[in-house]
Amino acid sequence: MANPLVPGLLRDHLSELADRDERVDGRGQWDGRELTIEVNPLPNAEGSAKVTMGDTIVFVGIKFQIQTPYPDRPNQGGLMTSAELRPVAGRHYEPGPPSPESIEMGRVVDRGIRESGCLDVDALCIIPGEKAWQVIIDCFAISDDGNMFDAFGLAAIVALKNAIVPAERFDVGEDYPLPISLMPIMCSYHKVGGRFVYDASREEEVGGDERIHITLGDDGHVHSLQKGLKGVFTAAEFDEIMTAARQRVSELQEIVNNL
Amino acid sequence: MHRALRGEFRVFLTVENTECVMKMGGYGDVQMIDEDGKRVDGRGPGDLRPIEIEVGVVPVADGSASIRWGANYAIATVYGPMEAHPRKISRQERAVLDVRYNMAPFSTTDRMRPGFNRRSREISKVTSDALESVVQLELYPRSKIRVEIEVLCAEAGTRCVGLTAASVALADAGIPMTDMVVSVASGKINGVVVCDLNKEEDNYGEADLPMGVLPNTGDLVFLQMDGDLSPEEFQQAWDYNVNAAQAVHEIMVAALADRYGGGE
Amino acid sequence: MGEDSASDGRGSGRDIKLVVPGEALGPAGDRIVGHGVGRRGDLLIATRLGHLCEQGSEVSVVPVKTAYMPRPGDLVVGYIEGMRANIWFIDIGAPFNAILPMSLAPGKVDYGATRDAMDVGTTILCRVQEVDESHSSVVTMKGMGLRKLNSGFVDQVPPHLNAQIIGSKGSMIQMLKEASDCRIIVGQNGRLWIEGEPEGVRLVRDALKMIRETGHAPGLAGRVQSLLDS
Repeated sequence: MANPLVPGLLRDHLSELADRDERVDGRGQWDGRELTIEVNPLPNAEGSAKVTMGDTIVFVGIKFQIQTPYPDRPNQGGLMTSAELRPVAGRHYEPGPPSPESIEMGRVVDRGIRESGCLDVDALCIIPGEKAWQVIIDCFAISDDGNMFDAFGLAAIVALKNAIVPAERFDVGEDYPLPISLMPIMCSYHKVGGRFVYDASREEEVGGDERIHITLGDDGHVHSLQKGLKGVFTAAEFDEIMTAARQRVSELQEIVNNL
Repeated sequence: MHRALRGEFRVFLTVENTECVMKMGGYGDVQMIDEDGKRVDGRGPGDLRPIEIEVGVVPVADGSASIRWGANYAIATVYGPMEAHPRKISRQERAVLDVRYNMAPFSTTDRMRPGFNRRSREISKVTSDALESVVQLELYPRSKIRVEIEVLCAEAGTRCVGLTAASVALADAGIPMTDMVVSVASGKINGVVVCDLNKEEDNYGEADLPMGVLPNTGDLVFLQMDGDLSPEEFQQAWDYNVNAAQAVHEIMVAALADRYGGGE
Repeated sequence: MGEDSASDGRGSGRDIKLVVPGEALGPAGDRIVGHGVGRRGDLLIATRLGHLCEQGSEVSVVPVKTAYMPRPGDLVVGYIEGMRANIWFIDIGAPFNAILPMSLAPGKVDYGATRDAMDVGTTILCRVQEVDESHSSVVTMKGMGLRKLNSGFVDQVPPHLNAQIIGSKGSMIQMLKEASDCRIIVGQNGRLWIEGEPEGVRLVRDALKMIRETGHAPGLAGRVQSLLDS
């Protein structure tokens, strides 16, 4: 991903708007864009989801492979998350090896899922010491209009919740739904025009500064935090963000449960 | 290509599962079409799989189209014409077409590892060659037009699906072309020539003939072939492709009209 | 397309048939090949996706989308993308960047001092001075009103919709200016510079969004008027 050009007027304009508690597209500070979630749009994945937030569009597919467990953890399976931001997703993209951004994105999404414990890797055993399931979360960007992190995070948990373990195809038993015990949801906040906002569009990301990603699970439990890019924020700002995150995560969990 | 693959499978499966060896065997052993000409998915020999095309599905792109073709699902986006970076690829007298065909890791039954892939490179090249035959590149010297084809779910004929989607996306982007490329693959199963191979037919059949056709002239811009076809069979497969291309073209035009209002 | 009524959609001398690249448009005869049209043997064909336009004996296609192709005299809003000791490279939204030589910069700039005068990311109002056969263009900032833009905001519409923005006799741009109380400068490259109170800027941006999304359908002026009235 090439470094985007930041026309100077954009930053000034965003500041002006922020001073008046406004955003470029008229949203409130903590408002998200129009959200759609499609369950299992990809027949060749064992579980999948398509999420759109405004003009951002992503797919996540869950694939299973069989691996040999580590000798010191004979019952444990594996989880791997990969994020691809290919040139299909934006004018500013350049083809080439995975960018630092996409690598960071994969790791942040992975941390949110893994640290929540929603997937019990010890339950992925097939034959102790010989075979265990490896769950692979492939995050795939189709259109980048900002906040790819949250779109990936949401699509990932929806895909996991709808995943079927393909035991029959690998001849190790009958297919069964992948047990997912809770619903971790990621919410990202960007500093734009001097204050934090939720669900930044690409314009806001390009003209903005540091960001923070928060993954909360059930009952507001905190599972992961990641601050990105340079810059500082105050404890008060953090409190404000956490309050907003708790609210939003709760809303999103309800939406997912009603799918 | 297919025979080599079958050979590999045979060795693998002999060790693991004899029942599978009997099922796969050599060509013609898997029954994929009955005496009435009905194929495993219910189609007749000349029938296309169901196709749906939607235009403008990626708003951030200059042009885009999604296509569902059987179980195939692909999205093509177009960016440009734009400044040609890096400088070394730009040409003085015309634009360059920068085409990328790629399959997402979850597009196949067994996961595909992301990264360099010879097959994708080959398909990107033949797709680019096909499109260069119709895009009026001389109108944008020293610039670049990007075409990105992403296969999200694969079920035989992905190169045809990708090329067709790319044509629609280029039209949506307002890129000038002398025609739109339509691509279909026909082949032979159990000795019978059929149109638009599905997954089993592609894996166990005896021939595969993908073509890229210009619907207004019948000219060819893309042609590959694997397997074994007699001259009559070859002609039959060719005719199937050309006829099917007309039907697919109508779907492409309807999708564009749907997006931009074709009313008279 | 300004006066079309929704009911019949046929304005004077026009047909709003959508044509696709490669579509035959009838025998060439002694018809004149216009924009977006080509020849295939004795036939005229469309080479762009767009709406067929027959005016007199000229056949052309109004494309649904078009890239900005600079022409001498065009007023454009550009962004500085890079520089050397004596020139700047300007992104003018065309398929290739334009060049602004030191000699055509605003005021006097010393050799090697280009970055101090105008750095990467600066927004400028400039005019296309000349375009060569390979569409490479040179822009100038010597001229009335041409300057660095230090305030305000730049929004975009696809260049082929520029004609809608300006409207017949500049009516639509007038509508926008009055309703929003903003200063608006329309670049030929589809970029508009807007300056005013934030509510006014928002109103203009909303109108531009509507133009971007529905500009190809007839009756645009009416829709924009309703938006501005509400």
